[in-house]
Amino acid sequence: MNVRNRWILLLAAPMAVALTLAAACGGTSSTDKTATAAAGGAGTTPTSTQTGGLPADAAPASQQKITMQSTEPQFYDPHRSNFEQDIAVERMLFRGLYNLTDDGSGGVKVVPGDAAGPPTISGNVYTVKLKSGLKWSDGKALTAADYVYGFQRECDPTVASPYQYVLGAGLGDLKGCDELFNNKDATKTQALKDALGVKALDASTLEFTLNRPVATFETIWSLWATFPSRQDVIQKFGDKWTDPGNIVVNGPFTMSELVPKDHVTLKPNPEWSGQKPAIQQLTIKFIDDLSAALKSFQTGELQMTAIQPTDVKVVKGDPSLSSELVIDPTARITAIEMQLKDPALAKFDVRLALSRAIDRKTLVDVVFDGVYTPATYWVVKGLKGFQGNSAFDSTIGFDKAAAQAAMASAGYPNGQGFPTLKLTLTDTPSNRNLADFLIKQWKDNLGITVTPDFVDGKTRSQRFNSGNFQLFPGGWQLDYPDIENPLVGLFDTGGGNNKYNCSDPAIDAAFKEATNATTEAARIAAYQKVETLVVTKLCGVAPIYQNAVPYLVNAKVGGVVPNGTIDASGPGTYCVECWYVKK
Amino acid sequence: MAQDGLTGATTPGTIAQPVLQELARAGGGRSLWGDALHRLVQNRLAVVGAILITLIALAAVFAPLISPYPYQRIFPGQIIAGLSASHPFGTNLAGQDTLARVIYGARNSLGVGVFVQFVILVIALVVGGGAALGGKYADALLMRLTDVVYAFPDLLFVILLQQVLAGTRLAAYMGGLFVVFFAIGLVGWVNLARLIRGQMLSLRTTDYVIAAEALGATRLRIVVRHMLPNTLSPVIVALTFGVPSAIFTEAALSFIGIGIQPPLADWGNMIYDGYGAVLATPWPIFFPALALAITFLSFQFLGDGLRDALDPRTR
Amino acid sequence: MDPMAAYALRRLLWAVPVLWAVATITFFLMHAVPGGPFTQDKALPPAVNDALNRRYHLDKPVWEQYGLYLWDSVHGDLGLSFQGDRSVTEIIRNTFFVTAQLGVLGFLVAVVIGMTLGTMSALNHNGPLDYVGVAFSTIGASVPSFIMGAFLVIFFAVDLGWFKTLGWGGPRHLTGLLDPFAWDWRRMVLPVVAISTLPTAFIARITRASVLEVLNQDYIRTARAKGLAEVRVVLRHTIKNAMIPVLTLMGPIFANLVAGSFIIETMFSIPGLGRELVNAVIRRDYAMIMGTTLFFTLIITLANLAVDLAYAVVDPRIRYR
Repeated sequence: MNVRNRWILLLAAPMAVALTLAAACGGTSSTDKTATAAAGGAGTTPTSTQTGGLPADAAPASQQKITMQSTEPQFYDPHRSNFEQDIAVERMLFRGLYNLTDDGSGGVKVVPGDAAGPPTISGNVYTVKLKSGLKWSDGKALTAADYVYGFQRECDPTVASPYQYVLGAGLGDLKGCDELFNNKDATKTQALKDALGVKALDASTLEFTLNRPVATFETIWSLWATFPSRQDVIQKFGDKWTDPGNIVVNGPFTMSELVPKDHVTLKPNPEWSGQKPAIQQLTIKFIDDLSAALKSFQTGELQMTAIQPTDVKVVKGDPSLSSELVIDPTARITAIEMQLKDPALAKFDVRLALSRAIDRKTLVDVVFDGVYTPATYWVVKGLKGFQGNSAFDSTIGFDKAAAQAAMASAGYPNGQGFPTLKLTLTDTPSNRNLADFLIKQWKDNLGITVTPDFVDGKTRSQRFNSGNFQLFPGGWQLDYPDIENPLVGLFDTGGGNNKYNCSDPAIDAAFKEATNATTEAARIAAYQKVETLVVTKLCGVAPIYQNAVPYLVNAKVGGVVPNGTIDASGPGTYCVECWYVKK
Repeated sequence: MAQDGLTGATTPGTIAQPVLQELARAGGGRSLWGDALHRLVQNRLAVVGAILITLIALAAVFAPLISPYPYQRIFPGQIIAGLSASHPFGTNLAGQDTLARVIYGARNSLGVGVFVQFVILVIALVVGGGAALGGKYADALLMRLTDVVYAFPDLLFVILLQQVLAGTRLAAYMGGLFVVFFAIGLVGWVNLARLIRGQMLSLRTTDYVIAAEALGATRLRIVVRHMLPNTLSPVIVALTFGVPSAIFTEAALSFIGIGIQPPLADWGNMIYDGYGAVLATPWPIFFPALALAITFLSFQFLGDGLRDALDPRTR
Repeated sequence: MDPMAAYALRRLLWAVPVLWAVATITFFLMHAVPGGPFTQDKALPPAVNDALNRRYHLDKPVWEQYGLYLWDSVHGDLGLSFQGDRSVTEIIRNTFFVTAQLGVLGFLVAVVIGMTLGTMSALNHNGPLDYVGVAFSTIGASVPSFIMGAFLVIFFAVDLGWFKTLGWGGPRHLTGLLDPFAWDWRRMVLPVVAISTLPTAFIARITRASVLEVLNQDYIRTARAKGLAEVRVVLRHTIKNAMIPVLTLMGPIFANLVAGSFIIETMFSIPGLGRELVNAVIRRDYAMIMGTTLFFTLIITLANLAVDLAYAVVDPRIRYR
């Protein structure tokens, strides 16, 4: 076997050469596509939500088909979900009393959904009138009783809703919801359900009894946890009630086909009384591997997909793809969370030095490919009361000289005598890069040593919840889009989520002011005061960036208005009836 | 073929032959291995393979000396740059030098191959040898164990084991490499163990072992002097073929995102990264893929050559 | 009893303890993995966690869960996936149907092309066709399926647009197998080619060697000397004998196809069992991991048995112990 094989070595490379050729051709052919993309215009241009009828540039109904990528939802039952991919589809299928939508300038506004208008408030009792003529997708009338049943399910421990807590203490504060959810004695269940603070006064009037007045009632009552349910359907089909053929919905779309592990197909709901969807068929493909999804976007098989942050550079370098890139900020700030019980971190000057030593702009560029936004604010963009970087950059933002001065005034000139701190994070590639970057900044700018402590997710949560940490990159994912959510319970003395041990009379006083506020403006202003105090005093958090998800949206898809605060698993998914395919 | 008569031409019952054989093995044993080496050197493809492997191994060992830059160094603004004098293989998506990463990647990729074979060899010797020599019950027990491991889906076992060990101190050992190596080794030993068992069982009934037993040689001596050396050649061949397959397994793991993690360089994760960038530039995927293919072919050629050289009966 | 049937029966019975051992190992390994299925970045309130654990019986001691699991699986109930409370048995049935199509097609392509190439090479020994065949088998064997897949996707789908990369083109239900409209070959060509390249190369290589060996045997020379036409000589005498070593490779080839399905299915977004298994591990979907592992184990065991039996049929010298 000696002679005949000699020349084969020469062939070892052709495979690789072929790859090269293939890619080189790729360069040319994607340039060819530029023309169409430019003509179509990018999906990023915000179009105002149209009120009725098709936009002038819409393609005929037969072409109104879109295929998008998503992770597979766990459930299609709004009372069992808290993953983004579930919520995205559930909001296409169901709607609640109120609706969250874009306010035209990137903010969020609450509009009535099934409710005829805002609630009538009398003390802790909130009364909501339903619109007339509401129907389920099977043609039956939608009544107040369907909402009552929905709330009973949400608070029922055997349903085990992972999002029940939004109706529990401190948030929605629906009377009796926590009591029912924590009950383990089956004999008491019915009594507790009857005692739940939700009643149908008649077919179109709902009365909610809360434990306290809730200023964010309409916002919380727009969440999937408050959607109505059909008792007859659920009792008939049990856990299979969300299968196509069984499922009965009240949203703009219905489920026409579901192939688990592969895709779900939605069609317009003929009984829906809101804005008529232009899209006649929406297919959601379940793909976790985003590099596979990117290739399918390029072959035209997907019109919308999330992409990996590392692919953003590639996409930006491609003239055709770059115009289809949508970077959608998420409702989450990542901060260096700090334990104030730690003797070194108890000193304000130390916290200030640590914060001012971090060059957030470079961090975001180097570690996150410029996808995230540098931040010194804690209340995310899009919320009413958002203050932004300009309010805080000059006090806690990057400034090497100021950082060194603060370190010196804390008693550690050039970092001398400063103890070694631990930075706790989960072991992922991007966290390793983040840790490398932060540690180097603190070393270079302050002369101090911070050591990384990589742990698994469970250990990380345990450490955080028991307050057993020093420096901890982490953040707060909003439960609902209101300024109070990232503040209440986190920074008030004794707050349930106050793992930092932040305790400051001025902050507590500002919280009190917010609780006692009689107008919406006063409430927002008081929470802005809380945010300002928390950030400038670095009372447990030094914000570093706001997270974001990069998407690609085909240039032919119109009506997609990204709003990171309310989007789930895709840009503009909160208003799927606004989408259309352009000519 | 002349000296091959050593095993074949023994006449049972004579005392002189085994004694001669002992002598031949103690003193003149070189001739057997020398012969094999001679046959190996004549196989040019195997020689090319051996040379390439040596070069890659040297690059891996002396990576810090040869590599133009540290593998994790980021060149700001040099993202997926083309080929140039300062970056002969270009740069990747993170702005790191591809040449440096291919060289350092040889460490991890080749390291996987070799370390995994070591794990496999130890387990296979214990299990295969134990089964062959440990008596009926040990044989039954160990072979049933082999069946279980054989039936277990390999990739799943590796993934599970990796997740189990993720939180432990072992996970940090060797920068996380240990767990990957260990897991791949732990599922890969079955065929080798069966081979060793079969080889030893057949050797037990050969004339010279029987004769050595008759001569009163201790069990240990028989195993060490007769059985192990004669088991060696098929084992060497199997291990040689095992190296590239372990490299493939690890590369596949890296490709689905659970092998060696960046910033550590490894050909598998470089190919995965390169696949992400391939529409912009082919180079980040080209070089690690080429390195992988060359390494694979080299081991393949060397393995073929070794098999032909060590076991002249097969062609 | 027929010795072969007895042997097959013994092997089948032996599969039971193997499955039990695999189930036990997987179960305890899985429960040793840090973090549960409900662990996420933002910790759930304890009351919610308790309710979820109760719902899925995760509040019981591990031994009790283990006992419960064994009892249920013996009765054919592999439990519910956390992913939408779907029956694991049903998910396996649906996804394996896709994986099996991919595997069988890949296998057929590998056997047909591999044996053709190998025979062609051998008959044209040291001729140009031989060079082509040997070059293919050497290169094919040194390119892992994921590089092959990457190349195919970029060249044939993204650049040329001939084929598609998203999902599987085969039918989803048995009834679709005979329905020509249920097949979308543009979604099938690339994954099948990617998964079959490596086994094709192996088979070509082995076939070539064994055909060469058979061609040198005396009886073939005799046949030729008798003046039988070349083609008939090859077909009648060589192919059957040359198949024996190919058969011995079927076990490893099958294992390779199973392993390949993990990667190829992920790469082409194919809703098969391999992709689901990887997803299940990442999501810590306990019941799904257990069920799939058991299923794969069973399949591998049966496939090995089938190969051994086939081997015995072709080569009567094999005896059963």
